[in-house]
Order: sequence, then C-alpha cells, then structure tokens
Amino acid sequence: MTQFITAVLTSLSSGAIYALMALALVLVWRSTRVINFAQAGQAVLTTYIGYTVIQRTGSYWLALVVAVISGAIIGAVIDRFFMRPIFKRIKSGPIVMIAPVVATLGLLGIIQAIIGFIWGLTNQAIESPVSTDGYKVLGKVIAFSSYNLLVLVSVAIAMLLLTILFQKTNIGLALRASAYSPEIARLSGIKVDAVRTLGWAIAGAASGLAGMLYIPGYFLFPNAMDLLLVFGFIAAVIGGLESLFGAVVGAMILGFAINFATTYVSAQLFFPTAFIALLVILLLKPGGLFGSKKVRNA
Amino acid sequence: MIRNKSMKRASLTSAVIAAGAMVLTTLPAQAATPGVTANEIKLGISSPTSGSAGTAYGKIPGAMKAYFSYINANGGVNGRKITLISRDDRYFPVLAATQTTKLVLDDGVFALVGALGTATHTKAYKAAALAQENVPDLFVNTGFSGFGDTTKYPTTFTVLPSYAMEAKIMSKFIKENFAGQAVALIAQDDEFGIDGVNGFKAGALTIASTTLYPQSTLTDARAKNLLTGLGALPGKPVLVMMGTTDVTATILKAAESLDLVSKFTWIAGSVGGDANTLVGGFKVKASTINGMLAASFFPDAKDKKDEYVSQFMKINAKYNKGVSFDNVVLQGMNSAMLTVQALRAAGKNLTREGLISAIEAKGSKFAGAGLVPLNYSTSSRVGYNGYWFGQLNAAGELKPFGGKLSIFTTDSGSGAIQPSEFKRPTMPKNGIPTNS
Amino acid sequence: MIKTTSPKTRFTLFVVFGWILLILGDRVGDFKLYQGSFVATYALAITSIILLTGYSGQLSLGQSALMAVGAYAGALTIFNAGLHPIIGLFMATLVAGIFGLILGLIVARLSGPYLAGTTLALAISLPTLANQFPILGAEEGIVFDVGLPPARFGEDFSQYKWFFWISCLATLIMVWFVANLVSSKYGRTFRAMRDNPVAAQLSGINVGRLKVMAFAISSGVAGLSGGLLVMLISGVSPSAFPLSLSFSILTGAVITGLYSLNGVILGGLVLVAIPEIADSLVSRIGGSEGFITTLPGFLVSALLILAVVFTPNGPGHLIKRHHKK
Repeated sequence: MTQFITAVLTSLSSGAIYALMALALVLVWRSTRVINFAQAGQAVLTTYIGYTVIQRTGSYWLALVVAVISGAIIGAVIDRFFMRPIFKRIKSGPIVMIAPVVATLGLLGIIQAIIGFIWGLTNQAIESPVSTDGYKVLGKVIAFSSYNLLVLVSVAIAMLLLTILFQKTNIGLALRASAYSPEIARLSGIKVDAVRTLGWAIAGAASGLAGMLYIPGYFLFPNAMDLLLVFGFIAAVIGGLESLFGAVVGAMILGFAINFATTYVSAQLFFPTAFIALLVILLLKPGGLFGSKKVRNA
Repeated sequence: MIRNKSMKRASLTSAVIAAGAMVLTTLPAQAATPGVTANEIKLGISSPTSGSAGTAYGKIPGAMKAYFSYINANGGVNGRKITLISRDDRYFPVLAATQTTKLVLDDGVFALVGALGTATHTKAYKAAALAQENVPDLFVNTGFSGFGDTTKYPTTFTVLPSYAMEAKIMSKFIKENFAGQAVALIAQDDEFGIDGVNGFKAGALTIASTTLYPQSTLTDARAKNLLTGLGALPGKPVLVMMGTTDVTATILKAAESLDLVSKFTWIAGSVGGDANTLVGGFKVKASTINGMLAASFFPDAKDKKDEYVSQFMKINAKYNKGVSFDNVVLQGMNSAMLTVQALRAAGKNLTREGLISAIEAKGSKFAGAGLVPLNYSTSSRVGYNGYWFGQLNAAGELKPFGGKLSIFTTDSGSGAIQPSEFKRPTMPKNGIPTNS
Repeated sequence: MIKTTSPKTRFTLFVVFGWILLILGDRVGDFKLYQGSFVATYALAITSIILLTGYSGQLSLGQSALMAVGAYAGALTIFNAGLHPIIGLFMATLVAGIFGLILGLIVARLSGPYLAGTTLALAISLPTLANQFPILGAEEGIVFDVGLPPARFGEDFSQYKWFFWISCLATLIMVWFVANLVSSKYGRTFRAMRDNPVAAQLSGINVGRLKVMAFAISSGVAGLSGGLLVMLISGVSPSAFPLSLSFSILTGAVITGLYSLNGVILGGLVLVAIPEIADSLVSRIGGSEGFITTLPGFLVSALLILAVVFTPNGPGHLIKRHHKK
C-alpha cells in the first residue's frame, strides 16, 4: 500500500515537472509552429542567472522573478534576431518544420557553451525555498513535500493564467490569430511579427519558471535540462501540442506511466515506457489527446 | 538541358571539394619513435571534458597537465619536457574512436594516458589500432575489469581497482560486519552493475534486491519509489550504491525527504562516494553522510596530513589555478606521477616496447598516493588491486573503519580476498620522482 | 523536374566518382582516409533522411535508432553467427529495413511534430534496451570486425584504407540505388505526395503504402550506415547511438539541401570537417581551460547554424527554381 501511495505521489511530482517544460514548448508551438529545442538552453540559462542572484542576495524569490523576466527577454531576443531571419529564407515544404529544429538545436549548443564558459562545468545547487522533507500523515512520512506541492501548484496556476491569457484577452486572440492565419491577422491590423515575438517571450518566461522550480530538486549544470526537454516534448505531443491543458494532462500521463512501470515492473523500462505511452495514445488519436487540426480553439 | 548540367556540376563540385579537402594535407613525417624528440615527449588523452560527463570527469586532463608542468619546471624526464595533448570525446564512443585515432595518427603521440570510459575506450582501442602499433595505453580511468585482459588489450595498463574487485571486498566486509542483515544493491546498468553483480557473486554475498537502472534515469521520483520498496526489508538493511556521485546524492536526498536515512546502513561505491562533492556540490546533509561507509584505495582528498595529498594540493594551487582539489584531481595527478616514473624507468633511449617492459619490470614499486599495492608484472597489467574500508564522519572525512586501516587485495575473478600488509613507498622529495 | 539524367549517365557518373575515390585513397594519409570513411558513412545516413523527409515528407528524429538496429544486426551476424562481413553489412541493411517497414506501418497515420515526437522517443529508448540482453554485450558491446585487408593488396594497404574502400563502395552503391529510385516514377510520386497529399490521393496514389515504402527503404539505408559506423569503431555499444546522432544527421541533411541527393557528400564532409575546424582553431587560439573546453562546442553549433542559414543548395533556392519551371 505504501508503495502504491508513493508511486502515485511521485508520479504527480514527476508529471508536474514534465508539465513545466511541456507548457513552454506548447506556447512556442502555438505562436510560431516551431519545435523549440533551445528551450532547454533558455531554461537552464535563466536558472544560472537566478543562481547568480541567489549568490549575491541570498533570496530565492527574487531570483525567481529575475529568472522569469530574463526568460521573457531572452525568448523575445531569440525570436526577433534569430528565428525571424531564418523564417524569411524558408517558405514551404517539410523544410519549414525542419530548419527551425536544426537551428534551435544549434542555438542550444551555443547557449550551453556560453554557460560553460561563464559559470564553469561543475555541478552547482540551488536550495529549495521550502522544505523538501515529506509531510507526516497519520504518523508516517509520505513521498510528498512542500517543495513538491510548490511545483504542482505553480504548474496549475501557470496553466490557468496562460489559458485565461489566450482565451479571454485581446492579446491572446492576437496570438492565436497570428499563428493560424497570419495573412488574415495582418489584414486585421495585427502586427504578426511583434505578436510572435511576444509568444516567444511568454514561452521564455514559462521556461524560466520551469528551470527555477526544477533545479532545486536536481542539480545545476549546463546539460541539466536536456532530458527534461525530451520528456516535456513527448508530454506535449501526447497532449496534442495545441492545448495547454493537454500539455499538463500529457505530462501527468507520462509521469504515471514511467513511475509505475519502473517501480512495479523493471527499472530499465524508463525510456521504453515513454515511447510506448506516446505510441499507444497517438495510435488512438494521431493528433494527440486534445489536439485536432480542425478545431482551432483553446 | 541546363538543369542536367547544373546538377551534374553540383555533384562533381561536391566531389572535387571533398577530394580537395582530403588532399590538402601533408602526410605526417614519421619519426623513428613517434612522439619523442630530443627535448619533448608527446602524450595523449581522450576523455570527456564537456557535456554531462565532462561535469564529472572534466578535471582529469587539467590535473595531469598541472603535474607534468611541475615536472617540466624541475628538469623534465631525462631532459625531455612532457606535452599532454588532450582531446574531448564527450563520452561518445564514435568521438573517442576518432579522437584517439587522431592522437595516434595525426598528433603522433608516443603513448596514451588516462583514457576514460568502457564503451568509449574499448572502441577507441581497436579503432586506433593500438595493439598493432604497440602504442602504450597507460593507466586507463575506468574500473572495467575487461581491460586487464591482455589478449584483447595487449598494451593497456589499468590503474584503478576494478568494480568487480570492489564488490568482492565489499562482500567480505558486509559479511563480517553486518551478518544477518538484508543487502540491497542499486547500480547503473552498465559495467558498474555487471562487474559489481559478478563481484558480489564471487564474494558469495546473498543480495535480497538488485536494481539496475539505465544511466541518468535515477531521478528523485525513482529514488523515492525505490527506497519505499526497500524500506519494507526487515531489520537494518545494507544499501550498496554503485553509481556516479550525482546518483548517490539523489538517493541520499530522497532518503532525507522520506526520513529513511536511519533505516539503512549506507555503503557508497568508490566512484560515487566522494563526500566533499556530496555535501559541497550536491548539498546532501552532513548528518546524512555521517556514518556512511565507503571503500577507497586512496587517502582522503581532504587529508592534508597525507604527504602525497598535501604535495598534490600545492601543485594544484600553483599549476592548476581556479580548480578545486578533489578526488578526481587527486586521481589525475597520481596517474601523472606514475606516468613520469614509467617514462624515467624506460630510460633515455625511449621506445614504446621499452616503456611497456619498464612498467612490467618496475611498475609495482612506483611511488604513488594509493594505499594499496600496484600489481604490474610480466604477467599482469593490473594496477591497484585492493581497497580499504572507511566510514565518513559529519565533516566528510573518510576514516578507516574500526579505527585501523585494513587493506584487502584480490583479483577480478574468483581469486581469494586476502588481507595485505602493504606499506606505501615514501613519496620522493617534493613529489619529484628520481627513479630509473 | 528535378532530375532528368538518364540512368546510363548516372551510372557513369557514379563509376567515375568511384575511380576518383580509388585514386584519392592512394594519395592521402591514413587519418584522412579514416575521416573520409566517416564522411561516406554520414553521407549515407543523410541519404536516408533525404529519402524519408525530403522526398516523402516524413520528419523522423529516429535515424540513430535505425542505425543502431542495423549495427547490432550486423555485429551479431559477424560475431555470433560467424558469417562474412559482407553478409553482416547486408543483414544490417535488411534487418533495419524490415524494422523500418514495421515502424512505418505503425506510424503511418502520424505526421509533422507527432511523428517527430514518436521517432524521438524511439531514438532515446531503443539503445537502452541493448543493456538488458546480455547477448548484446552491454557497454563493451559486440565486436564488429571486417577483418584485415586481403593479403594480395600488399603490406602497405592499411586497415584505414580498407575501411575507406568498404565504406565508399557501400555508400556509392546505396546512393546510386536511391538516386535511381527517386528519378523513377516512384520519385515523382513521392514528391507529389509530399507537396500536396490531398491532390496525390485524389489522383489515385496510395499515399499510405508509399509512405511505408519510403520508411522501409530509408531505414535500410540508415541500417547500412549504422553498420558502417560500427565497422569504423570496431564494435557496437548502446552509447554509440545517442540522440545527438539523429540531430547531427538531420543538420547535415539540411545543409546538403533536403530535397536533393546531390550534395550528400558535402553534408557528410561538413559533419566531419566542422568539428575539425573548431578543434584546430581552438588549438591555435589557446586560452584558459574553460575557454578551450567550451569553444569547440560553441564553434560547431555556430558554424552549423550559419551553414543551415546560408546553404548553397538552399531550400529557398530550390523551391524558387521549382516554381520557375
């Protein structure tokens, strides 16, 4: 029974962490139809910036704010000065999806090299702002701590805020319009390019949040978020890449699948489970759980 | 049609570019003995210095270079300066193969030192034709027992005790001190795990639970699930962790979170048991590692009273500025010191065969920081072949278990585990070897 | 029309090129031959992507997994079954091709990022399975030995030259085969399918079946390149096929020009040459330890981005030419 409860709780925690990255990836996809592999680099870079803030001021929360803001700035800069010139050169065919993938991969390498140069390659740590000791329930310690709760709550709030932004505000409308019908949006007077940059900025802020929440439970080094990127992407695809809610659901499914498979069957099923979970869902719904090419809302 | 011609031209152009690129190289001049001139000896190392593995092992080339610089400043070896060419292989077998081949064919090194990793070096060894060219492959940085096999790797000398040896000696230690307690093993599923499992078998230790995890999959969530399951074992189980330091840290922190630290007797394998890194880098609580057991064959990297450690620390401070001194640096410098002694022993007329014979003949007497014997001989390419068991205190210092340093030696197979009265040779003055 | 070279001209072209490589092999040092072998191997891997993505429009990040399948199949054939290395390479192609066929059938309904995600998941999970079956040799892996060059080639014929011959020959044959394929009616059908799947289906093309066929053939090609790769490193390990390999090949394909086979050698050359350039630049510049460690990675990424943006056979140019016709 304890094993089962632990499995459930750890799945929630894992799922929340995958969701952080998945949200950022979905944001970029929705606003620019790009799979942004550099998100891992952006996230870890902003976390290093946050780390430096902690070194100077000792305050985690200040570092969090700085990380989110710098994430937004970096995201905007990348779109404006990197992605836009690339998009000008490619117009149609499979290359539209591939060139940005390759370009963002290159960007990831550059960011990680810069980080290594500035901060060095050794492991650093960021202390969690809240306790990492499991809560005591009915006299027993459970596999859920204040830190796990913080991540879970942050993901929920982020998802809610972003959904409200996309659904209920004019900016959100502009974001959606620019992504799906750039010509029509332009005709309506929307500055499509500027709006896209905004989309990247929001995604950058989200990944800044992701990094600062993830690293206290792990460690900080230039490649720290590489694996998270892969699982975040898989989670986003499971959810359908079109929906923020889908990203969170996909992440939870992934978290549960992996933790249960590795705990109850074999530790070596870690990666194959991700593949099988993704495959099973896509075979049932080729556009992901909540994604549909026809339905252009949410 | 223009289309055709331009397409043809494009293909031929690519071909010509490719051809030109390849021809625009001069063939390297072959010296009588490659890598040796009147005033220089070129050595090469292929190891990960960037990427995830670089985070853990990136300090090795720098540490070796620092020691070599120190020796160069003090006359070099028989009048020759040592140059270490370091190439980054990022722990990828393909890169290790190409970088090692480059070191041999392009950079023309005399010998290789400190190659790192099993998957990487097994490929690099063959790809660079080290056996055919008789290139000495000194002091590889891995505990994979297979490198002691002279039919497969005739020019390789190991230095680290193998994981199998470690597991065997651990078995003996556990049986003697924790008889009756269940034993659980958590190991990475590559050579750590396989060598380890075989070693525990050879040491006749019954293991209640074995978990082999693929590299980088032991996350906090996994660790918590694992520990919850193991927490159901009766009594005070012995938990052996054979993996890298980051995984040891993850498991320990998960135990802290679940309040399971006192449930287990913790044993960390030598690779993942560096207390300084656990507490300093990974922020494991000092109270958690207090009492943890670890096997080692070196003195503690913080033990300033040890003459080798303090000398290496001085060299590090002067020639390796900005790099903090830890087990990895200690290991690198120690291998460098062994290398220098090997080069000296090979004499002024330096050849590859001569170097290999010199280590076979005199290697077991080389001075080094290791507290266990070196096993080189005409029939053995195995370096350190033993361990002592220690217990960590809250300050992160590894002190001999039970107060007295007890060394045990064994092999990687089914040989017996024997106590050893080995006494380490005194360090040559100022850490500068004078052997011949 | 992209290519109207007659099959005969194409064959002659390949033979001529083969002779050029033969002569080259005698003029160049061992290390360059070794690097040349990698160029050929990567060029072959890039060919598989061009066929799959450029011609049939399926974005796959899983080439490294397919290469791994081929590599292990080849290694097992040679080492465990004791068969001739040529059979090993053949089995690498065949087994990977069958695997690709099955995979293609499974993922037939997926497209775009969904296919990309699935193949990505495959790429990270397949190699890890190797550690679970002892017969696959774990991290030490299985030896992939093509044997020494035949004695009749003489003393001076080095192992590296042998590698060079085998990899170039295998690549030439396979690329010639694929070039024939894409110049045939299949190639036209692929392109039609890629550019406008709906119209293609309406004109009677069985899109699903063609996609699977492309997957199968492309996987076979990838499997062969995987076999060649482990030939060059004399053995196979799971860690020889990391996810970054898929990324590298994709990058190489983009640099080559995704829609045409003409520059595959250039793509392979770039993949081998850029790290070299970065390494030698760093050696010449020198600098602090941190600088030396991180600069090569930086340079490689930067150069690759530049190459993608400014590719000579640039995708932008190709599309323009296409529309001009």
